[in-house]
Amino acid sequence: MSDRSATMPQVIGLTRSLIPRMPRGWLRFTSSLAMAVLTAVSSIGLMGLSAWLLSRAAEHPPVMYLTAAAVGVRFFGIGRGVFRYLERLVGHELAFRMQSLLRMDSYAKLADTTLLGRRLGDLLVRVIADVEAIVDLLVRVIMPFCSAMVVIAGTSVLLALFSPGAALLLLVTSLLSGVVIPWAAQRWSHAADIRAIPARGELGDLVREMTLNATDLVAHQMGEKRLAELAQVDDDLRAAEARGAWTRGVAGAGQLFFTGMTVVGGLVIGGAAVVSGQMPGRDLAILVLVPLAMHEIFADFSRAAQTLTRSRSALGRVLQVLHAPAIGTGDRVVDQDATTVGLVLEGVGVGWPDAGEILAGVDLHVAPGERVGIVGASGLGKTTLAVTIMGMIPPTAGTISAPASIGYLAQDAHIFATSVAENIRIGNKNASDKQVARAMERAGLSLDPERVIGELGATLSGGEAQRIALARVLVADRIPELMILDEPTEHLDRQSAEALLDDLFAATNQAAMVVITHDHDLMSRCDRIVDLSQWAQRSVR
Amino acid sequence: MAAPLDRRLLHRATAAKIFLVAVGATGILNGVAVVAQAWLIAHLVAGVFDTGGFHAAPLPGFTAGLWCLATVFVVRAVLVWATSRWAHRASAAVKSQLRIELMRARLKRPSDATTTSSQLIHLVTQGLDALDGYFAKFLPQMMIAIFVPAGIWVIITITDWVSGIIVAITIPLVIVFMVLIGLATRSEVDKRLAAQTKLANHFADLVTGLPTLQVFGRAKAQSKGLEVTEQAARTSTMKTLAMAFASGGVLEFIATLSVALIAVNVGFRTVDGAFDLATALFVLMLAPEAYLPIRQVGAHFHDSADGTAAAQMALDIIDAAERPIGVIDAAGLGAITVVFENVGVHHEGAARPSLSGLNLELSPGRTVVLVGASGAGKSTALSVLMGFTTPTTGRVTVCGVDLADLDPESWRSRIAWVSQDPGMVRGTISSNVRMGNPGADDDAVRSALDRCGAESLALDRPIADDGEGLSAGERRRVAMARALLRVEAGGVDLLVLDEPTAGLDQTTETRVVELVRSMGVLVVAVTHRDALLSIADEIVEVGSGVRS
Repeated sequence: MSDRSATMPQVIGLTRSLIPRMPRGWLRFTSSLAMAVLTAVSSIGLMGLSAWLLSRAAEHPPVMYLTAAAVGVRFFGIGRGVFRYLERLVGHELAFRMQSLLRMDSYAKLADTTLLGRRLGDLLVRVIADVEAIVDLLVRVIMPFCSAMVVIAGTSVLLALFSPGAALLLLVTSLLSGVVIPWAAQRWSHAADIRAIPARGELGDLVREMTLNATDLVAHQMGEKRLAELAQVDDDLRAAEARGAWTRGVAGAGQLFFTGMTVVGGLVIGGAAVVSGQMPGRDLAILVLVPLAMHEIFADFSRAAQTLTRSRSALGRVLQVLHAPAIGTGDRVVDQDATTVGLVLEGVGVGWPDAGEILAGVDLHVAPGERVGIVGASGLGKTTLAVTIMGMIPPTAGTISAPASIGYLAQDAHIFATSVAENIRIGNKNASDKQVARAMERAGLSLDPERVIGELGATLSGGEAQRIALARVLVADRIPELMILDEPTEHLDRQSAEALLDDLFAATNQAAMVVITHDHDLMSRCDRIVDLSQWAQRSVR
Repeated sequence: MAAPLDRRLLHRATAAKIFLVAVGATGILNGVAVVAQAWLIAHLVAGVFDTGGFHAAPLPGFTAGLWCLATVFVVRAVLVWATSRWAHRASAAVKSQLRIELMRARLKRPSDATTTSSQLIHLVTQGLDALDGYFAKFLPQMMIAIFVPAGIWVIITITDWVSGIIVAITIPLVIVFMVLIGLATRSEVDKRLAAQTKLANHFADLVTGLPTLQVFGRAKAQSKGLEVTEQAARTSTMKTLAMAFASGGVLEFIATLSVALIAVNVGFRTVDGAFDLATALFVLMLAPEAYLPIRQVGAHFHDSADGTAAAQMALDIIDAAERPIGVIDAAGLGAITVVFENVGVHHEGAARPSLSGLNLELSPGRTVVLVGASGAGKSTALSVLMGFTTPTTGRVTVCGVDLADLDPESWRSRIAWVSQDPGMVRGTISSNVRMGNPGADDDAVRSALDRCGAESLALDRPIADDGEGLSAGERRRVAMARALLRVEAGGVDLLVLDEPTAGLDQTTETRVVELVRSMGVLVVAVTHRDALLSIADEIVEVGSGVRS
């Protein structure tokens, strides 16, 4: 799967499609935008109006001429903090709603396509993190940018009432500071970031290797050598990242420089207007202090541009998931009418619909009670064969007849962060407490059914996790007539593995059994062994 | 949440100290430049306002004043650029230091299980990046926030003592409120965050479990539940944020309100003629600058929290690995005899010891097999022997010398080791086998593999660091070949075999052990396989057989 960043039209399209799907979506968006604008207006207004107030005061008018301006100044002074607080709340609520929608969409899409046995790499893990990009995108990029554009336009118009020249200068430098510089900085620092990718990748690989194989490395006196390599890679990474920091520094300097130009320009243009009598002297301070206050609005834009780049690449991956055609059935569909006993494959071709055929002409007969070991090198398509037998993807050729109740036990069944009982009910959502207890007993599992496990609960040993997976299979209303075991002992130590197999075979001795394995001990417990490589369509290293 | 100024972390910052000071200094210089900028603008505006011409007293002239102002902006621009560079150098230096120290700590305690591999990998590759916020922003800003507001307050007070009083009252107020609200909401926020993590993880849990759900035809049905938890998570998150934003909100509120009060106050006194415009504008422009550094500390505080948490974790790992390392060279010890005297290991925080009261004597040329129930401490015993784990009770002596006094590198170079789940380094089959003897030629590697039952593994077959593409049995055979090469290269007196995971045929293994023993090497193995047990000179029962 290629890594393509979302284009700007795609990002905007995605945002615009999500907003109307939430209750009062556009109202939320508009009020968040309004709060952001009011926040900026308050800080600019505070300085601009104060400048006018002081200048007017210096003309020594009666105090009542200043009262309105004083109220305005106080309003902006209070408003800035209040509006900012509201903006953050409304904006975040909107962003989290969008994130929820995106999560639901991604989940629905992924649930709809068969995932088991696919080489997905870290796709699932990435999607989880990638959807969060929408929050940053809205809160840190879209809202600040949209409100800044409104404020730039508004301020320029307002300033034009005093001095069209100064207003034009402000408009030009604001666009330079607010749009051009962040855009250029993002492009340059992105280029630097890209140069840092290999170094970052190498660092990740090295750290992974050192962490996972620490004992083997020190046992072979390779530790110091690896540390020296790490220092070298770290140096490279530091040099690459320094270029990014350099660019961000230049961007920040550029923004301040343009602010300075606007202030100096305001003095020149405004000063000339005052001297020639075109503008009252009291307005000069406004032309100077407003651009100064505007600077605060752009200061974070270079960072926002970087956030945009990150969000675009994350959302690009999310869009890829959302737009990918569904493959297979997703959920396994049980053919309740199937009356077959045992498993019969005749001339079956196996392969993912979006990739080539990997096995062809597979003939396999497994009688009830018979255990057939399936062997073959990694990558040959053993799990894909299992997925095909379960009907989750269609065979590319030939016929499969399988019983309705199939149990599948893999090496890495997921344990959900919930109770033991709920984990087991994955296998049969209507199972009674008694059924669950019976399945646990037959799976040799002596845990409290109400105990919470998984991510936030107690950790399980590899053996216990596999027994939960087995209990899921056994909790079905009908005992499986076909069992497919996919490397069930891969991560277990010998004793646990043998104990598990004993219980498993005892519980399902009537079922036809297909056993995918590398394990010599497990092979020795099969009635016969079938080597898949005879049907392989491509050579596997 | 970690304390914002962590003593241990600051202590580590030696490499970064000079850059940190430089960033702080540029911030303070910038403060000076801001004062100059405000003074220049005030007098340029007031000069034109007062005279209706291009005058800017006490400046020599309007144009000269403009040039000065432009210069101040250029100086400030350069300072911004310098700050960005040096701030990056500061955090990069600390990150590099911590990365290396973390990995060194891992290698010192290679079998440490208190930090999972994924936690450590994440910490070293990404977690430490959060320190950018701490070193590049928060720490320098702390320095700036101490000096700049004080300096600006002095100048404001000299210019106008009334405004000085407003600033003097409100700045402490800002800090007090910020801290009070922060403290008041913190425990509640932390509590909520913990609850939220649970809800937020539901999506992650479902997505990673999708293949499992699909097998049982239950994936689509989970959408409804997901929608419910999403809603609950959002509601609770918003409540938390409303509190979390409050502390920052109060800060902003008091700061801008104070500026407004000063503006109005100065304005009304200007009407009375107490000030000229230049002074009034000067005070107005300085007032927000007195609050700005403090506001930024508040803004960067959040960035720093992630960083200090990451650093805390890193320093805990590094400190836990601090221990004296033996210096006696094991190469000079002669034939190896090992004695375990009442050796026990009790990991901190564990309910039960991993190993207790093991007595064992290993003498040259013998084959000793350790047996015992799962969890009895067989692997822990081997880990102690390898020097990966330090015994908490008893001691291990090698030829009469305490194992702790031996240089671990020199000790391990006399051992060939095959672990329970052998690690693979990135490279090829042959580079992995060659870890046993880097000087071995291809023929030697091939022959070692063949004798370990790995005839089908091609030498140039690539391997990823997690051994992906190799089954557990294949990894085990590569590791056996590795050990065989090492023994054959000479200098090795001890072969340590930990119980294999599922998937290896035992005849090959037994053949290799016999081969090694015939070379006069002491073999220690954990196993319950009959074939290996049958050739053992001695079988030692480890532990009381309590099953975990």
